[in-house]
Amino acid sequence: MSRQRSMEKILASEFVSIGELVRLTGSRYSTLKFYTEEGMLPFEQESENLTRRFPREKAIAKIEEIKKLKNQGLSIPEIKMILAKNL
Amino acid sequence: MNEFSFAQNFSIIALNTQRSLLLSNEKRVILRCIAAAVILEIYLNNKQDETLTLEKKDLVRSSIEIYQIPVLNAFLGKNETVSHTLPYFLAEVTKLSRKVLKEIEQAFAGSLKEVKAIEEIEALLGCDYLYVSAGITIKEYRSRADLYTRLTESLRAEILEEGEMTEEALLMLWLLRESGCLHDLFSKEELKRVAARSIELFNRHPLAKKLFPIFIHRISEMGIKNFLKLKKEIMSMPTGTGIAFVFPAIERTESVFIDTEEFFPSKETRLHDVKARLESHGHHFSIIRNGAVPLIKVDNTLYEAVPSFINYEVVIHGVRLRRYPLSL
Repeated sequence: MSRQRSMEKILASEFVSIGELVRLTGSRYSTLKFYTEEGMLPFEQESENLTRRFPREKAIAKIEEIKKLKNQGLSIPEIKMILAKNL
Repeated sequence: MNEFSFAQNFSIIALNTQRSLLLSNEKRVILRCIAAAVILEIYLNNKQDETLTLEKKDLVRSSIEIYQIPVLNAFLGKNETVSHTLPYFLAEVTKLSRKVLKEIEQAFAGSLKEVKAIEEIEALLGCDYLYVSAGITIKEYRSRADLYTRLTESLRAEILEEGEMTEEALLMLWLLRESGCLHDLFSKEELKRVAARSIELFNRHPLAKKLFPIFIHRISEMGIKNFLKLKKEIMSMPTGTGIAFVFPAIERTESVFIDTEEFFPSKETRLHDVKARLESHGHHFSIIRNGAVPLIKVDNTLYEAVPSFINYEVVIHGVRLRRYPLSL
């Protein structure tokens, strides 16, 4: 069992866990889990211990984009369509 | 972004909504857990030997945190050095006196207030019609909302998600269990997952094996706490909620009544008046879900605002706040 990573280390690493993504963005865990299940957030599945690893920069940019679109009053299906087009 | 220590993180979660002027039974349990968090923090930083050694000379080191001093003083007493196992130290926190617990509270609250991680505001119960009309003020702690969300949500992610858990999360899980804060962070469904995760950790990790069988509580206090918990549980069930509506005195904190200006208010007026009352008392208010029974977030806690009335010489219409589990 390892220690929690410091914010410095998290900010320097390429991949982060969902818990660290919550610490970075301040979003709710259930919200990020929902975005992941809906395929709105990019991640890599580690087969060994089943953890999902998120590319830090890409995931944060995506969350910011979703937040911005939500503030514009768009629904989740609409946001999903826009994100799919931007790919 | 400010990074706080392990013990500070726990106190930010645990002190939220606790009365600041009163040393209640619940707060005593929480302060003992905060003292345990200081011991665990020292344990985490000391390469995790079998025995933990506290020394008087640690108190004058520049690396010592102000909030650690009352805990170290309480354990050291007149001794120059104290050396024991971790379970011994954790069990000893149950013997801390009221005076020491107050000192611990002041040290933590003071250091966290300085960096604006928590603040002291008027308690939610102070917004109740009876308290407002009687001019009674009750103070409580409120943790900074964004910080509280970051901490609790990352902890929820680590505990509920598959895969490896960090040592901090494991220790935090035990502290939350002992302080009775688990119910504030997880819904009933999620608690089943938390229980399964705890059993899995107990079977796999030596630290969990060492820590989980330790209970830091006093039998008398646990009796009172269990009674209050049972009362709260009964009051949260459909029948209990009905009883609380008729006899709010049974569970006063779970039945805050906010009166409305209009005699027969519409749902918009009701919500507007609730918002005005809460904000006038310094609370943060946001609407999560609209409707006849809206879901609102007051500071860091979710409530359902149920239309209600109280019978005096004239009927007073208003809204009763009913606690809602945190997860959505």
